[in-house]
Amino acid sequence: MKDLPQTVFVVDDDDAVRDSLRLLLKSAEITCQVYASAQEFLSAYDAAQPGCLLLDVRMPGMSGLEMQQELNLRGATLPVIFITGHGDIPMAVEAMQLGAFDFLQKPFRDQELLDRVQRALARDMDNRARLRHTDRIRERLATLSPREREVLDLVTQGKANKMVAGDLGVSQRTVEIHRAHVMQKMEAGSLAELVRMMMAVAPRQ
Amino acid sequence: MGGVSTDVLALLEATLDAVVIMDDRGRIAAFNRSAEEMFGYRAADALGRNVSMLMTSADRVAHDDYLRRYLTSGEPRILGKGRDVRVRHRDGSEFSVFLSVGRIPNTEPPQFVGYLHDTSLRRKALATLERERQLNRLYLDLAQVMLVATDRAGTIQLVNQRAIRVLKLTDHDIMGRNWMDSCVAPDDRTAARNAFRAVLMSASDEPLTCDYHVRASDGEDRFITWRGVALRDADDVATGVLLSGEDVTDQRRAENEAHRALERMNSVSRLATMGEMAAGISHELNQPLAAIANYAQACARLLRLPAPDMPEISGALEQVSGQALRAGEIIRRIRSLVRNEDVRRELQDINELIRDVHALLASDARVHDGRLELDLTPVLPRVTVDGVQIQQVLMNLVHNAFEAQAGEMGGRHERGREVRNGAGFEVRIATRPTEGGDVEVSVSDLGPGLAGDAEQRIFEPFFTTKPTGTGLGLAISRSIIKAHDARLGYRANQPRGACFYFVLPAHLETTQ
Repeated sequence: MKDLPQTVFVVDDDDAVRDSLRLLLKSAEITCQVYASAQEFLSAYDAAQPGCLLLDVRMPGMSGLEMQQELNLRGATLPVIFITGHGDIPMAVEAMQLGAFDFLQKPFRDQELLDRVQRALARDMDNRARLRHTDRIRERLATLSPREREVLDLVTQGKANKMVAGDLGVSQRTVEIHRAHVMQKMEAGSLAELVRMMMAVAPRQ
Repeated sequence: MGGVSTDVLALLEATLDAVVIMDDRGRIAAFNRSAEEMFGYRAADALGRNVSMLMTSADRVAHDDYLRRYLTSGEPRILGKGRDVRVRHRDGSEFSVFLSVGRIPNTEPPQFVGYLHDTSLRRKALATLERERQLNRLYLDLAQVMLVATDRAGTIQLVNQRAIRVLKLTDHDIMGRNWMDSCVAPDDRTAARNAFRAVLMSASDEPLTCDYHVRASDGEDRFITWRGVALRDADDVATGVLLSGEDVTDQRRAENEAHRALERMNSVSRLATMGEMAAGISHELNQPLAAIANYAQACARLLRLPAPDMPEISGALEQVSGQALRAGEIIRRIRSLVRNEDVRRELQDINELIRDVHALLASDARVHDGRLELDLTPVLPRVTVDGVQIQQVLMNLVHNAFEAQAGEMGGRHERGREVRNGAGFEVRIATRPTEGGDVEVSVSDLGPGLAGDAEQRIFEPFFTTKPTGTGLGLAISRSIIKAHDARLGYRANQPRGACFYFVLPAHLETTQ
């Protein structure tokens, strides 16, 4: 997975704009792939491919905003940089509210674009690292027995073994054995580390 | 019949006037047939009696006095002059006659002859004539048109009150003057003379029509529509011209005013349309500008590399100039639409006109996240149109079509779903030959179409179904199409939506 190169995906229906973006990214030695429509991108996109999106707000068929929503529905985390014309500021605001990473107003300086692209790629790398981390935690969580999971939830809430034994109606000794299995399976060195892991995978508020 | 010769008596019988001769004492010496008829006395009964029996009581006394005075002083009161007098019929009725009295030369004692002319008949005829004249005058003056009659030389013979008012003359001071020189505005005199000559020479009695200005006495020019016929004598020779003229100055002014108002409205609507499309146009311009900036910046970067990819750079530079021209073309199109150009009818290929405006229309499509389809029949007869105006109508119709669909769908996201469902958000411009060989242009959409009431009223000015509409677009479009001898119509689109169409008359190509 780590071997996949970071790619900038350019989606713009205007041939000249699309091609000029390709050349600009190429001149900065950034890998990119270009698409003439949202549909074309969505049918080609593999969520495993890291990178970021350069997306025109206004396109016939599915607009940039609609494509962003579609990606959100699919759970894709690709950072989206919107490219807008002068009249599209309200759309850009809407896009930001929907979780867009950034937006650029046409025409723009190359450095502005490249800076934003670099930051978006860095964000994607972070996202993916975090994702890999949480994925691992989830994998370990999946190996726990139901009783071990109950013990884990109670101890990470800060309860002592004695209280956990009372809650579950088992002996304190039994709780100690489950707890040792949990620490082992979760590869946690301390209770503090276990708590951090659980916070990483907890659903966001 | 003392002293009246038989020759004279014979003469008296022949005259139509009543003749009475009397002697110096007022006794009737002769009484002709006409007198018999006039007074109801036979001559035999009248002779020897005093003429006062023919007079009214008021005149009887006076008559004796006149006679006496004349005989004593030689002072004539009535001799040699004629006058109207009242006389008395045998039956006692009184009536008017015209009486002239003369002394018969070489008679001593003097004899007098009286000629009595029955004026009541003449009067009646005169009165009738006068009444007719007045009636004619009334007809002339009641007429709401100017009436002017001239002879062959253009000398004014008759003008009515209306003409006098328009020309601001004081009554008939224009009679006898030359129509062209006195009344026609100097710049129009040649035209007026030509029309005048044409009427004189015309063999038909159909009136000829022409328009020219007259100049009123205060120097104001009025624009008149004239109809002229020749006046002819018994031998059918034109002796003059009768002109009837309608003062259309105010009407013409109102028409010009309305025309100018429409022109103003037109340019306002153009500006409004441009305003609504400003977002689309700025996007349209931003595209080539963004591409130019990107290409140029990429070139600069590529050139800094140790081994620059020259073919790539050269291709990019070509793109730069191409995109600059694209931006220029967009600006040129916008300018030609915003400019308040004069109406220019030219022979045009309607498909070309549509393709020309496609870039702008497509930008409208973008604003509405829609698609603009062209469905043009390749070979069509050419049409004589003002290209800019037809393009304006198309812009208006396309814009309306997108608005109608956008209005129906509500919010943006709703619309997106609609697109994904494949229902489409589409406007189609189509050209087709009609059965009659003309060219139909239609703009159709897949929106809600028109409800019954809207279908009736959609072309009325200020009628609108859009919350922010001015209600002028369609009204102006229709007037533009009407000016092209065509009609802007509406029909329901299949399977749904609205379709606006117009049929432009085909230009007849001589080569075909």
